[in-house]
Amino acid sequence: MLTHSVYKSLFTPIIILLLVGALFFLGLYPDISMILGGIALFLLGMEYMEGGFKAFSGGLLESVLEKFTNNTPKAITTGFLATAIVQSSSLISIIVISFLSAELITLTSAVGVIFGSNIGTTATAWLVSVFGLKIKISVYAMPMIVMGILIPLFLKSNSWKGIASIFIGLGVIFLGIGYMKEGFETLKEGIDLAQYAMAGYTGIFVYVFVGSVATVVIQSSSATMAIIITALATGQIDYANALALAIGANVGTTVTAVLGALKSNENGRRLAVAHFIFNITTGIIAIVFIYQLAELVDYLAVIVGIGIDNYTMKLALFHTIFNIIGVLAVSPFITVLVKFLNTLFVPKGLSKGKPKYLDDSVLALPSTALSAIIMETKHLYENAFDIITHGLNLKKNNLLSSMELDEVTRDLHTHTIDIDSFYNRWIKGLYGEIIDFSTKAQTNMSPEYIEELYKLKLANRDIVEALKDTKHLQKNLLKYTSGRNEHIKEQYNDIRKGLAELLRNINTIATTQEEDVIILLLSKAKIHTERYDIITNGTLDKLIRKGLITNQMATSLMNDSDYAHSISKNLIAMAEVLFIDINSDLKKLHEDMGINDEDVDNMLEKKDK
Amino acid sequence: MGIKKFIESVKESLGLDEFEKVGKKKSIKRLLEKLRSRKDILDKVPKKKLSKKEKTELKEELAIISLQIKKGEKILDEFN
Repeated sequence: MLTHSVYKSLFTPIIILLLVGALFFLGLYPDISMILGGIALFLLGMEYMEGGFKAFSGGLLESVLEKFTNNTPKAITTGFLATAIVQSSSLISIIVISFLSAELITLTSAVGVIFGSNIGTTATAWLVSVFGLKIKISVYAMPMIVMGILIPLFLKSNSWKGIASIFIGLGVIFLGIGYMKEGFETLKEGIDLAQYAMAGYTGIFVYVFVGSVATVVIQSSSATMAIIITALATGQIDYANALALAIGANVGTTVTAVLGALKSNENGRRLAVAHFIFNITTGIIAIVFIYQLAELVDYLAVIVGIGIDNYTMKLALFHTIFNIIGVLAVSPFITVLVKFLNTLFVPKGLSKGKPKYLDDSVLALPSTALSAIIMETKHLYENAFDIITHGLNLKKNNLLSSMELDEVTRDLHTHTIDIDSFYNRWIKGLYGEIIDFSTKAQTNMSPEYIEELYKLKLANRDIVEALKDTKHLQKNLLKYTSGRNEHIKEQYNDIRKGLAELLRNINTIATTQEEDVIILLLSKAKIHTERYDIITNGTLDKLIRKGLITNQMATSLMNDSDYAHSISKNLIAMAEVLFIDINSDLKKLHEDMGINDEDVDNMLEKKDK
Repeated sequence: MGIKKFIESVKESLGLDEFEKVGKKKSIKRLLEKLRSRKDILDKVPKKKLSKKEKTELKEELAIISLQIKKGEKILDEFN
């Protein structure tokens, strides 16, 4: 399950090995060749299906996982349904790990999803036993593959391309099952594997071992289950041994899970431990109570209308039941388990200037990579917000409260900060890491994602520029707000007030879901930015003409107003990219509906009249 | 008929290009609804009770919302 990176690196060698094997046996044992070719097709089909569902990972899958995982039963159900539909527990686990990294879900919910996902993987067994063996599957395979090839010719969107891949994937899986079935049927005429059937606990342990090894080698419990079911359907293996093989397939995934975790981040490792504990516990329960479980399957089979001699469907039922029992057995201890997991793999020496969300595990999907970069850019903004606020001699708590802005600007810090020093500690390195990570993420992205990524890079640059401008502004701001000339003091406090209002509004934009509020605040911010144009609005002229400020003060005020203008422009541009939800209506419409410079000028003209 | 022309004619006859347009139209309609209801609320605010500063703010908000509604309606018209 958490073996994606290992599986990806082994996928091509496994397929090549299977194909070489198929070619090798082609002359002597065409039946074995057919089985190996069938397994290769099955794995290829799974890969296509996963690729197809990835096309939906930009929104739908994430929305479902985010919304329906807020308590354990919901998380388990969601994990089950998502895996059963997607037919790929590794895709679900990648999303869960990246969600954990992005702090979109809690570890408890993630563990719940992983447990549910285990039950979801049993859907493959049902798919093979219900459709794969009952129907002449190759009849359906070809039209599905043809559909999958034709769809992208007419419908170019990513979603349709995803649907096309799912069609091709399902078709190829069906084709693979068909070949495996045919291979086992003809093999029976030559060699009868059933003669190696073993009774009692010796047989159970031997076949659990065989199932585990097969899963470790193929790196897919679903493929192992497909082989077991087709072999069982053709009478090549005994029902009791098939049950043990199914348990073995579950146990085998823990080995690959541990291998996968070695390459993963701390969240991936914690989930791998949870998965390991779950599968080992489930395996032990299933081995100890295998006879009772087999009786339970017989009893339930009658209730749900499965024939007593329909061993393949009974095996699928057994697979589902022992995974459900595993979930029921482990779920009551989920809080204890999460407490324990939280003590593992704790990173040392986390600091504000270090990336929190940039992890190679999220690079597997463009959407999760983009999501991690968004989160990290928000982290960069949080750091910049603290520095800018303090640099402007404003208190963060006041700014984030409902305190009147006049009061916010009056309540000063007792000490000032060196922006340069904070820039070097909290911003510079983090900014560099984000840009570096973005370059890595870009390689797997479609043009649409690259466009979003480009905007995010600009947002990062805007944050850094705003901070640098604050540094330039800070010197005179501190000097004149503590000086004796009330007129220049008033001007600089007005700049502070304006920027305080902007920072507060951006905070509201970042936290609200109301699109009309966002659009209103962004428009307001754009209009208010023009207050810094003190030459056009006559402020500077008035101050000089009346002799209220010196020439030196005038020059400083003019330059610093420019800095304030630039800070505002950069922060607004950043907020437009960073704080409008990527899936919201506003994101699609902002370019058409957002107010532009011409609108701002028109509104200011009307205001003056 | 070339393959490209054939694909184009199938797309046209099935109205496949309309998918994106329909989604955008729905988004605009939803946003316009929100903006209109916000404008209604602001219109009903008793202006006499407001201070000068509050009146200016209200006027500014109403001007922004009216502009957004106008823009939204224009885009919607272009779609129809």
